[in-house]
Amino acid sequence: MTVTEDAPAAVTAASEPTAAAPAATGLAAILGSGDHKVVGRLWIVASIFHLLLAGAAALAVAAERMDLSGVDIVAADMLGPLYAYRSIGAAFLFLLPFTIGVATAIVPLQVGASTIAFPRAATAAAWTYLLSGGLLVGSILIDGGPFGTDADGVLLFVSAFVLLLVALAVAWICIATTVVSLRPHGMTMARVPLFAWSNLVAATVWLIALPVLAAVAVLAFIDIRYGGGNGFFGGGEATLYGRISWAFGTPAVYAFAIPALGVIGSVVPVFTQTRHQRHRIAQGLIGAFGALSVGAWAIPGYGSEAYHWLYEGPWVVVSFAILLPVLGLFGLWAMTGRQGRLTMASPLLFAGAALTMLLVGLLAGAVQAVEPLETLVDGDASPLYGTSWSSSVAAYIGLATMIALAGGLVYWAPKLIGRTFAEGGTRVVALVLLAGTVLWAFPELIAGLMGQPALPLMGPIDNTSTIETLNIVSLIGGVVLALGAAGLVALFVSAARSDELPGDDPWSGHTLEWATSSPPPVDNFASLPEIASEAPLYDARHRSEEGSA
Amino acid sequence: MSAVVTTPSPLLTAPPPAPRRPRVLTVAAAFAAVASSLFVLTMLGAYLQVRGERLADGVSALPEDVVLPLTPGNMGLLTLAMSVVTVAWLSWSLRNEDRIHAYLALGLSILLGIAFINTTAYLYQQMEMPFDLTGTSGLLYAVTGAHLVMTAVGLIFLAVVGFQAFGGQLTGRDAEGMSAAALYWYVTVAVYLPVWYGIYITK
Repeated sequence: MTVTEDAPAAVTAASEPTAAAPAATGLAAILGSGDHKVVGRLWIVASIFHLLLAGAAALAVAAERMDLSGVDIVAADMLGPLYAYRSIGAAFLFLLPFTIGVATAIVPLQVGASTIAFPRAATAAAWTYLLSGGLLVGSILIDGGPFGTDADGVLLFVSAFVLLLVALAVAWICIATTVVSLRPHGMTMARVPLFAWSNLVAATVWLIALPVLAAVAVLAFIDIRYGGGNGFFGGGEATLYGRISWAFGTPAVYAFAIPALGVIGSVVPVFTQTRHQRHRIAQGLIGAFGALSVGAWAIPGYGSEAYHWLYEGPWVVVSFAILLPVLGLFGLWAMTGRQGRLTMASPLLFAGAALTMLLVGLLAGAVQAVEPLETLVDGDASPLYGTSWSSSVAAYIGLATMIALAGGLVYWAPKLIGRTFAEGGTRVVALVLLAGTVLWAFPELIAGLMGQPALPLMGPIDNTSTIETLNIVSLIGGVVLALGAAGLVALFVSAARSDELPGDDPWSGHTLEWATSSPPPVDNFASLPEIASEAPLYDARHRSEEGSA
Repeated sequence: MSAVVTTPSPLLTAPPPAPRRPRVLTVAAAFAAVASSLFVLTMLGAYLQVRGERLADGVSALPEDVVLPLTPGNMGLLTLAMSVVTVAWLSWSLRNEDRIHAYLALGLSILLGIAFINTTAYLYQQMEMPFDLTGTSGLLYAVTGAHLVMTAVGLIFLAVVGFQAFGGQLTGRDAEGMSAAALYWYVTVAVYLPVWYGIYITK
């Protein structure tokens, strides 16, 4: 008797692959895709569109401030809504979605996952963002939004804003779950690369802040819809901006910068050609930065004046303490640089510019908190908080984050679009963005010191002519920033159209996203290298070098 | 006797199976539960602040003619407390592939969830309180309404994974979806404690 264990022929035939359906192309490929790279690109492109809109609003407000004697350039009743849109649009329609876009595309690759967790939810979040962003812009155009006079428009704004917050929260849940649950064998939490780690920290912080902001917005909706000017907290539409502006004031604004630290931490070791020094400590420092940037407790207008010390005490502590993790990271990156050989490529230039601006912003935020030390004693309001010093701090943090993420876009372009940016042009853009940030935010800082309020309230103030001069410099900075952003978009489009292929690992990267093709296939990896540290590709490269030696 | 010819089984030469997805749904449910809780608790905080300010001004928090009955609130708490037991029973039954117990536990859990919603609706009816924004009454509806939404989401989650389990997708060691739904439900019940104390007990 002969016994065989060959599989029956029928089984073999059944397991043969069937003809694959033709891959969708063009718009159908975007509309029907749950691929996290496609979804990430959708977030990125839409957020850049919102950057252009928010930037135009910011330039209009800045131009109006050249002459403080009256409102000349935009319609008088549009100045407030434009100012509010400048902040809300820049923060929640550009910066956070841009971060989510880069994270959605890169984080699964960096942790070695074949997909993002809940790809359909991630896709739904992206489309909800597009819808709510459109409604939000529409509400501003019909004189809704904060400072708007059309009650229905204001309600549309609040509804769209809540929808936007839900979309952002869902996207963060997908990213965080990917980092926690979809890591392959060997990728322990301590080995998670810094960009993915920073996004896990950011997701946690935003999943604390976004529901609080959504609840505040829902209460504002009820207040305005049913209470007119006599709602729970009084004031109706007029107080809307004050209720939500804490989300881009200190300390909550620092949460925007958490992924920026991850980008810098990913770029520095690659362009110094060495291992990141004290990776776990860097993770701890990013976590500490995240913990200190939870700002949901510092909501103005919801605390009794009798307990002002309860808010201002922690506010002062946080404003100073948050400098420490960034200084610690700066030290680690300096150590990393000393250990290796520096290659001044464009992503490192972006990283350096972003880190410098972030440190200046954090320092300005700490200075802002000095005055409340006195309010603990006498109860007076801070003279700096509420001036354009405050908005300048937010501008420094926001623009530093934008520069870091722009660097991330350049660095990860091979994985995002399968092409690289032109190196020379990208270096110029990095310097232009740095110059624009300094020109935009520094005069605003000084004008705040001289008493210019953050809100564009026209009318006589002290040192009007000096402040107007500073505002002109700030406007020039805005124009320079716009040129830098336009240059980056042009480079992005040019790179996307280029026929030059970058190769799988053009930077000699350290982390897993460089272990696959550029652009990666739908399921990301054909195979993964051994993961024995936070830099598996660096390990593999050094093992093979040692072997050949 | 002829020789036994063995060729390696494809099962032996095949690559090892991909590791089981480690608690993806549970992790996401934990994040979602924290976010939902903070949404409700922020509203509760706003309610307590307005209530405190009104009491400090010597004005009653709720309209003078409104009586906030204690019994429905307490019954709501008791109902949710019982549902914690039935949901734990449901998870245990699925892990042990005991379908009869799972059917019973899912049915009871959904019944108790609906009973809680009914209790709150009965409370609203008993109060006969207008939706008034000058006091805390509008906020009371906002807080309890937000918690009702959280409860409804938890119920739908339980029902969906429960029916998936009966379809055979979430049995034995793979009952992760039920663990996720149970986690969300436990947090929903936990959030009711400060709502119950802040609204129905302190009045």
